[in-house]
Amino acid sequence: MVRETAEEIDEIAAAWAVCVDRGLTAAEAAALEAWLEGDVRRSGAYARMTWVLMSTEKADLLAAAYGEAPARTPKPAVMTRRRWMAAGGAMAASFVAAGVYLGVDRPVVHGTRIGEKKVVSLGDGSVITLNTATRLEVAYSKDRRHVRLLAGEALFDVAKDPARPFVVSVRGADVRAVGTSFTVSSLNRDAVRVLVREGVVEVSPPAGGARRVTRLAANDRAVVSGGAGPVVVAQLPPSEVDAELAWRQGRIVFRGESLAAAVRTFSRYSDIAIIIDDPALGAEQVSGVFDANDPIGFARSIALSLQVRAEIGADQVRLTR
Amino acid sequence: MLPDIEHEPSETARPPVDMRARAAWLGRHVIPHEPELRNWLRRREVRDLDTSDVVQEVYARLVALPSVVHIQNPKTYAFQVAASIVVSHARRLKVVPIVTLGGVDEVHVAAEQPSPEQVAVDRDELRRLAQALARLPTRVAEVFHLRRVEGLSQRDVAARLGIAESTVEKHMVRGVIMMADWFKSGGSHRATSSKTVIESTGRRNGPGNR
Repeated sequence: MVRETAEEIDEIAAAWAVCVDRGLTAAEAAALEAWLEGDVRRSGAYARMTWVLMSTEKADLLAAAYGEAPARTPKPAVMTRRRWMAAGGAMAASFVAAGVYLGVDRPVVHGTRIGEKKVVSLGDGSVITLNTATRLEVAYSKDRRHVRLLAGEALFDVAKDPARPFVVSVRGADVRAVGTSFTVSSLNRDAVRVLVREGVVEVSPPAGGARRVTRLAANDRAVVSGGAGPVVVAQLPPSEVDAELAWRQGRIVFRGESLAAAVRTFSRYSDIAIIIDDPALGAEQVSGVFDANDPIGFARSIALSLQVRAEIGADQVRLTR
Repeated sequence: MLPDIEHEPSETARPPVDMRARAAWLGRHVIPHEPELRNWLRRREVRDLDTSDVVQEVYARLVALPSVVHIQNPKTYAFQVAASIVVSHARRLKVVPIVTLGGVDEVHVAAEQPSPEQVAVDRDELRRLAQALARLPTRVAEVFHLRRVEGLSQRDVAARLGIAESTVEKHMVRGVIMMADWFKSGGSHRATSSKTVIESTGRRNGPGNR
């Protein structure tokens, strides 16, 4: 077989990156996996093209810098060459002026809508991955890297910097790391949860109670209840840690949770509601890997495996015996 | 019952690397040094060794790492990976390895030069993006604008412009390739032949037409 040239690989890698950006069908996802396996260079080319495409996500910053109001004008006010360039200059200048990346303690807010996921790279090499419906505020200063998790869930891959600890504040509790990888979630009804993937993290519960610091190691999960309640720590098997982090690949993994709990999880990712009238049905256990953005597909598989009916409406699915 | 994840084939395999997160890391720490890496590789002059092949393999190896948190100096690391690829290639050819320790030392020297402040990198990143976007053909730029600034889906872009969704996708691919070419050279030469490139994309084993 003739060896592909790097250019040929680049063309196909670019096409795959664009397809992933618009969303893959299951068959396409399998084809991508197979393609990546085919030649050692392919995953490298694909990563590079993925980044090129990701970098264009900042185009909205440029447009904003130019004073463009996105999505409001009825007719597309398309950016021309000159305007992109002007925006680039203005943006570069405004970064300096505002000192956003200059170590000045001026918070920057990042957020995701329902069903959305976002990766934010920070100036120090740390990376935050925001899960669905998440809002957080990043404020870096000379001696501290501070993030306030306002809602939702995020994975923090923290670059090592002993001189500047990385602290995530959430509902009064502080989660502190030097260089590590961990998630923090703050969902409506639940307590704050911290899950450590790598390294060591320290959790300080909200002030008021005994302010004791709890140290967590890899695979530890801490549940910090509101008020002065204790921090409860459990060590999870690695497979469960992976399952907890499946959202980064747009998947949700259930391992025997109740159907009611699974439906609550899906409600975080989509506006389509799954409704169960029968509490006994809600108590059934579910297992499997599902596409986080496909509640209807989930409801269909559940209907199939539990032998129930799924009535699919415009914005809801009803499961009945 | 639904398939139990315990029985999925990937049970013993490492969890897959999050491609977006890894691409973001590469984009921040390695891709800005790509023009320099290419220059360095071109000077190796190993027979039958294509610079672009090595660069792709360098990225592939960085993608395959389970974690990059421990890498203190990504630039040095990338150059070392490149050096090891060149050496193993030279060994396969049974030629005298041109990249000896001296070659790798050179990498250290290069990396010890004060790296520019992250501030400058962030500023440059946006400036480079603006430059790259500004060079796109009008129709391609229009598609990127609607997708990224207006936040429309590919389907909605197609409806807005009155063209097929597959055409929107082709414009996107063409734009990505042109921008990648632009970044490859550090923005010093024109993107070439992207038009002919696109016509053939997806015909071989690329993503199929839906």
